[in-house]
Amino acid sequence: MAVSIVGLILIFLFASSWPALQQQGFGFVTGSTWDSSQDPPVFQLGPMIWGSFLIAFNGVILAVPMAISIAYLIVFMFSSRMSKVATVLIDLLASTPSIVIGLWGFLVFAPVAAGWAELLNRYLGFLPFFKVDTENFLGSPFIAGWITAVMIVPIIASVTREIFSQMDRDLINAGLALGGGRASTFFKIILPTSGGGIVGGTLLGFGRALGETVAILFVLNLVFDFNWINVTRPEGGSVASMILSKFGEAGPKEIEALLAAGLVLFVITLLVNWLAAIIVDKAQPWRK
Amino acid sequence: MEKVIDLSPVARPSASEPWKSSSKQGLLQVAVVSILPMLLSYLIGSSFQLEAAVTAIVVFLPLQIGFVGFLGWKEFGKRGIADGALVVSLIFFATLVLVLLISVLWSVIVFGGKALSLSFVSQNNVYISATTSMEFGGIGHALIGTLLIVSLTTIATIPLGLGVAVFLTETRSKARGSIRVLIQAMSGLPSVVAGLFVYSALIVSGISSYSGFAGSLALLPLMLPTVARIAEEALRLVPSELRNGALALGAPAYRAFFQVTLPAAKSGIITALILGIARIIGETAPLILTASTTNGTTFNMFGAMPSLPYYIYEFLGNGFDTSTQRAWGAALVILILVGTLFTIARVLTRKKNLTAKKRKK
Repeated sequence: MAVSIVGLILIFLFASSWPALQQQGFGFVTGSTWDSSQDPPVFQLGPMIWGSFLIAFNGVILAVPMAISIAYLIVFMFSSRMSKVATVLIDLLASTPSIVIGLWGFLVFAPVAAGWAELLNRYLGFLPFFKVDTENFLGSPFIAGWITAVMIVPIIASVTREIFSQMDRDLINAGLALGGGRASTFFKIILPTSGGGIVGGTLLGFGRALGETVAILFVLNLVFDFNWINVTRPEGGSVASMILSKFGEAGPKEIEALLAAGLVLFVITLLVNWLAAIIVDKAQPWRK
Repeated sequence: MEKVIDLSPVARPSASEPWKSSSKQGLLQVAVVSILPMLLSYLIGSSFQLEAAVTAIVVFLPLQIGFVGFLGWKEFGKRGIADGALVVSLIFFATLVLVLLISVLWSVIVFGGKALSLSFVSQNNVYISATTSMEFGGIGHALIGTLLIVSLTTIATIPLGLGVAVFLTETRSKARGSIRVLIQAMSGLPSVVAGLFVYSALIVSGISSYSGFAGSLALLPLMLPTVARIAEEALRLVPSELRNGALALGAPAYRAFFQVTLPAAKSGIITALILGIARIIGETAPLILTASTTNGTTFNMFGAMPSLPYYIYEFLGNGFDTSTQRAWGAALVILILVGTLFTIARVLTRKKNLTAKKRKK
């Protein structure tokens, strides 16, 4: 059943976007022009694909330390009552709809994060990541990265928590008995043994970040121009958000191109998630 | 000459009794090393006119790590330094998440609370523009639309999700591993792609126009993996003695399932459904692509249908004060719905855990 749904999605998207793919050729995923007024129209979504990856990287880099910290605190440090409260809070964050987080991000968080980006630019502007030549800091991949981080922290945290709580306690106790402290136990025993699971959980979060739509649409300035690594520049891209933003006023040709963009996004996230699912499955042999 | 044996006891190292609960002095030390850096960094930050974020990262964090490291060094020797640094950074990151979460909830409750009123929940959007005062118009139509779309999706998901879960737990098929991986991969399906799929399958091909029906079809692949995964967990928790007992009494497999396994896993399966509903109730992109919206209240599933997320999307795009307030109000209503579902699911799972404990005794 599930197989047939995934298959159906692929077939329908492929069938209805075939004309656009055929016309645009390979440049569809590498070029950087999106213009429906030319004849024939040119649709290329290279910057959007790269932008999606940039934002997802950003989000993952921010989210992984937070998620591992939470999982560690819940499993190894908190008393059982505090662990329960923390688990409920994380689940609450996980079930907060993305449109609510987008609303909060747009009206409350974006101005704050823009301030942070300005500080980064002022003190670390010599790094290529934070070089900005405009006065505007709103709408950058940095802010979108934070928003996706808020959304993927619960995903990574819950996978990591499960891995941590199923760890072999004898290993940890042996480490402690040999005179290891918290830090050496954490870096030399806990992280190496649960590394696979954490990577899998991170990939799951990465896939979710790639597919995030409305929240990013509110906080990102979509520009069809490659922004390679400059996260605080107020220009970025995201395939999912681009689909939604162009959808309203698109003609039939452009709709085909948007469907093709959806197909590309789907294939990418399917690969990422499939990889993640295999890794997580391998890392949890007790589930068999 | 007689050998002198020193019988005076060797002083015990202070860290030799890790099982002892922390003393008053220890608590005092912890309090000092947590409060002092805060005060110091506040003083430094305010006297040098630094921004709060810079102070937190550049002044407070190193100070805190230094203080806790010193305490660790005093108590445990060299390894205490690294331990202190680790604990401080763990708590720092966790607090960051807590602050973000509270910021989300707080702003939705405060701003949304201003918009919420009886008329806002009951009236619809006819004759309302972005600048109409808050006394008129509301989200009644969107609330009804969301409930209709979500309940249709739920009705369709029950057999599918349960089917997958039953396949994964009750059969010994070789395909189970790959199905599980596929379900996991499906849970990462971007919502906009689910919307595009239904759009290209139903609306481009002319089978249907924008409709609530298409909207709930687009939500189906998003809800299915959640339901299947959690229902699988619930069915797995049913003791195999129960199942085997029923089979040993001569019940055919289907009766053993419907009369023994399913009732035993009932609360878990309802939890799965509730969490699945909570997952899709705030989905926006698929509904924008498939269900569109209307201003009036409608019960026709085969026509365009309004929904709460679309309402937020629509009014946030306008940028006027009143329309932003409407968006906050609708966000609060969604959050209340999700919170209610979430609490019900929590209560159900707790009950199940209690009975499981009783059974063990």
